[in-house]
Amino acid sequence: MLRLEQVSAGYNRSIALDNTSIEIPEGKIVSVVGANGAGKSTIVNTVSRLVTVYSGKITFDGRDITASKPAAVVDMGIVQVPEGRQVFAPLTVEENLRLGFTRLASGPNPAQKYRERLDYVLDLFPRLRERITQRAGTMSGGEQQMVAVSRALMAEPKLLMLDEPSLGLAPMIVDQIFEILQKLRRDGLTILLVEQHADEALQLADYGYVMAVGRVRAEGPGNDLRDHPALRQSYLGREAVS
Amino acid sequence: MLMKLSYLLLAGLTNGSVYGLIGLSLSVIYGSSRVINFAQGEFVMLGAMSAVLFMVTLALPWPLAMLAMIAVVIVAALALDYGVYRPLTKRKAAPLTIMIGTLAAAIVVYGLAFLLWGPDQKFVPPVLSLTPVRIGFLVTNTQQVSLIVIFLAFLIATWYLLYRTRFGLTVRATGVNPKVALLMGIRSERIVQFSFIFSATISGVAGMMVGPLLGGHVGMGLLLTVKGFMAAILGGLGSPFAAAAGGIAIGMMEALMAGYGTSLYAEPAIFVLILLVLIVRPYGLLGDYEAERR
Repeated sequence: MLRLEQVSAGYNRSIALDNTSIEIPEGKIVSVVGANGAGKSTIVNTVSRLVTVYSGKITFDGRDITASKPAAVVDMGIVQVPEGRQVFAPLTVEENLRLGFTRLASGPNPAQKYRERLDYVLDLFPRLRERITQRAGTMSGGEQQMVAVSRALMAEPKLLMLDEPSLGLAPMIVDQIFEILQKLRRDGLTILLVEQHADEALQLADYGYVMAVGRVRAEGPGNDLRDHPALRQSYLGREAVS
Repeated sequence: MLMKLSYLLLAGLTNGSVYGLIGLSLSVIYGSSRVINFAQGEFVMLGAMSAVLFMVTLALPWPLAMLAMIAVVIVAALALDYGVYRPLTKRKAAPLTIMIGTLAAAIVVYGLAFLLWGPDQKFVPPVLSLTPVRIGFLVTNTQQVSLIVIFLAFLIATWYLLYRTRFGLTVRATGVNPKVALLMGIRSERIVQFSFIFSATISGVAGMMVGPLLGGHVGMGLLLTVKGFMAAILGGLGSPFAAAAGGIAIGMMEALMAGYGTSLYAEPAIFVLILLVLIVRPYGLLGDYEAERR
């Protein structure tokens, strides 16, 4: 569904992603794991077209999106849950969700579609239903993550990308979020999960990539990667393993 | 006694409407881009001077002149967007750098206007009549009344747009976090561009309406930027209503101080008052949540 072919990308002429090829098949969860600074977030932001691509090609459903604008990528159905949640803090939960709906707002029958999407995400996260008029910035980290995920789901994405969803959250909340991701996959959603918590992320994934210093060091079915040497190498550095 | 007071209040309301309109237009741009536009007063000047150009020099009827004036300020707003805002944001400039950029734009606009109109005060023709009208014991004129009406109309229109429409929600979201707004599929650049155009139109209309009351000259922009900025920080920059209310407050204070004291001290006294307010309430009198979260 999504394919990065030998993509090099970065900010301000620096290279954060070096000649990387990744593929995300439809209906699967693909996890990208690796230590801080391995280039994981760059993958997500490259697909969202926030990062300059120096070479290589990104295609989605066979269409080249390498030169697309961020909003055009969203229109195609690729939606990101950014690192650190980044809810619109002064706005209410409902307003946040309404913003997530932007992609469908100009489509057919928006009012009815909006109610459908709203019911869908509020059934996934019943807690948000009671807090719909609360300002998102006043909520706990876990609740903000629910808002961020729901906000992305309001767009009815074809591909959902999550950048470090576990960051700064209690383990119990992380488990909840990961359970929701499994449920979303059962509903047919394709998911790209970028995570520092390698073990949980790979356990969940159909396929995984281990990254270090801007390159893919290993790839394979999620469970096979969980005790792959490249994983230790990525987190501990080369010397620690040899 | 009462007559003097009500006369002063009317004068305060008139000047306050002008400052309120500028404060409102400053906060519209700030709301979507977090930039304080130091060229805002130049839009007002262009509004007033365009009235001279189109209504006197070219002798157009006022509705046509107003449309032509709006076209002029929209061109100026687009020049500010493409000439200053976009190139600087593209290079990831800090908001302060962009503000200095708008100051540079203000100087350029002033220079161009100077070449075109020269340094002299110009008579700005009234759109409506300046003939005195008596309402009870108050003496006013339709130009003055319509200025106040226009202020209220723009205030309500802005409120409706920002808080009652989906488009307004995307404008507010872009101001809060432009990067995440992009990730929602919002075309942030277009949103900011719209806010520049909308804001310039408000200021241009303000200039055309106040020109006959203040007199028009190419150097009038700077003082109006300062007054509008004072209005916006007194009320609270984060909200258009707070900024507009700040404008009325400053207009009233000015008029009352000039009426019961001396106009000589009116301005410094207002500055001191604003300083005191900001010490107690750093986000302005009505400083709202959106500003405080930053």
